[in-house]
Amino acid sequence: MENKSFFRTKEGGLTIAFLVIMIAFAIIIAGLGAGSEAACMAGFVLIVVAMLYSPVKVQIYDRIRKNK
Amino acid sequence: MNIPINLFMWIMAFLPIIVLLFLLIKCGWGATEAAPVGLLITIITGIFFYKADIVLIAAESAKGIWNALIILLIVWTAILMYQVGDEAKAFLVIRNGMRKLLPNELLLVLAMGWVFESFLQGITGFGVPVAVGAPLLIGIGVTPLWAVIFPLFGQAWGNTFGTLGAAWDSLAMSANLAVGSPEYLKTALWTAAFIWFWNIIAGFAFCWFYGKGKAVKKGFPAVLILSVIQGGGELLLSQVNTTISCFVPACISLIVILALGRTKLYREEWRVDDSPIMNRSFAGGDSTTEKLPDMNLVQAFVPYFLLSAITLIVLVVKPINTLLGQISLGFSFPETVTGYGYVNDAVEKFSPLTPFTHASMFLFVSAVIGLIYYKKNGWIREGGVKRVFVKSIAMTMPSGIAVIGLVIMSKIMDGTGQTVVLANGIADVLGNIYVILAPFVGLLGTFMTGSNMSSNILFGGFQMTTANLLNVNPAAILGAQSAGGAIGSAVSPSKIILGTTTANILGSEGEVLKRIIAVTVPATIIIGLILFVMVGI
Repeated sequence: MENKSFFRTKEGGLTIAFLVIMIAFAIIIAGLGAGSEAACMAGFVLIVVAMLYSPVKVQIYDRIRKNK
Repeated sequence: MNIPINLFMWIMAFLPIIVLLFLLIKCGWGATEAAPVGLLITIITGIFFYKADIVLIAAESAKGIWNALIILLIVWTAILMYQVGDEAKAFLVIRNGMRKLLPNELLLVLAMGWVFESFLQGITGFGVPVAVGAPLLIGIGVTPLWAVIFPLFGQAWGNTFGTLGAAWDSLAMSANLAVGSPEYLKTALWTAAFIWFWNIIAGFAFCWFYGKGKAVKKGFPAVLILSVIQGGGELLLSQVNTTISCFVPACISLIVILALGRTKLYREEWRVDDSPIMNRSFAGGDSTTEKLPDMNLVQAFVPYFLLSAITLIVLVVKPINTLLGQISLGFSFPETVTGYGYVNDAVEKFSPLTPFTHASMFLFVSAVIGLIYYKKNGWIREGGVKRVFVKSIAMTMPSGIAVIGLVIMSKIMDGTGQTVVLANGIADVLGNIYVILAPFVGLLGTFMTGSNMSSNILFGGFQMTTANLLNVNPAAILGAQSAGGAIGSAVSPSKIILGTTTANILGSEGEVLKRIIAVTVPATIIIGLILFVMVGI
């Protein structure tokens, strides 16, 4: 129960984003080692998505919810 | 490299920084929200205007994540150290103990916001003084916002020669200065002179913010004495041994401020009642409502004494340092090239982490031994150990995303050639007037990378080349670069985040930055003007 509520908080969301970035890091390192452009691309997209979590949540999602 | 250096390309390179500053200062966004936007713009300008391919962007992102992870290790362990003290209520003991030793509140603020941070910067650095200092200042009744601002001011002077001279060594390395050569010593002298100037300004800024003219008058002798010890001592020692030229004066100033508290001028209780930086209800109320542990001041400081001892032993005793430095972790990266032929060389082991000689290890060991010591004495309550670790991880996460975003941003800017265009454009357009902006380049480097060392690596060579092109004294220009870089550590978002995290005001980075810029920018302008008058005309 406690875990579920933590991951619903902003800190919890950021923790997930952090973990996604770590996975993306591993994918890019593997991609660079194997010379795979697709792996680099996949890792990079994951980074962008995880990084944008906070601004999208705070500046867009939360504001829309507040206005409703 | 054939990147066109024109106004359009320069604006494109400057855009991410301007947007970042706008979001932080004007819109009041937190760094966790602003940094990803700055990063997104850097990626777009990098791909579409600087012709970087996806492999280059991914490789630079991975380098950024690796560098950010190394910084985050320090963040987490510094927060862990703070949580240990917090759980044992050691900060309450430190607050009350220091109050007794320093009944003059202004001197107390100077001790906890300037001198103690200088001491920490002398041995650890990497934002530790900010992360550790903020909660200590809150403990003596400073409002959280100012508890973040003061350590940022207080640690800045120690950024070049602090951390046992790490940033200075990187400047000497990137500008090809042979250790002990006349150019090396001349550059060290210019650097230390500019830093001394900043040190005095910071000292008086503390007094001014605490209680305007009244406090400046009261604090005048103390600031002067401390600044002569710190800035003057560093200037002298920079000509003898650059490794200890910050640490030794910082230690002496710590002893001297306690001695100052016994002098006629400062031994009586004194304070500015309506000081805008003090939270009177907090400072007065806590000591009566919260039960203090049976701990004396020396016991409360045990983790910090340990930190100093471990750091000194590992960094100064050569055989131990060599032995522990043998294990290093790092990843290899292939060569990448932009469409404009800007090359990022392949590296066998990028930015290797030597875990056993890294500041985070000193912090971790000190925190754990401190925790054991506090627990043995019965100052850690039931479930306290688990609480300390859980809280430290929860507090680290939000700042983690911002730090990662900022470091990736600077890596992509560097790897796509945007940083070079930014610096070259300024030099090309301004000619000798550039001299005024030389410290700003250093400041910009630290702002972007979060480290005086990185700024010196990034711009040291460029500043040297520009000085030679413009036929001005390179030692003075390099001095301004590193001094600007040191001052820049006070405005660096990644360092500000460390403070806002431990002060529990994450999201207030813009507010902090706004107040710090009011001091750092004029100080940097004055350094630039002094430089221009002395070597530019």
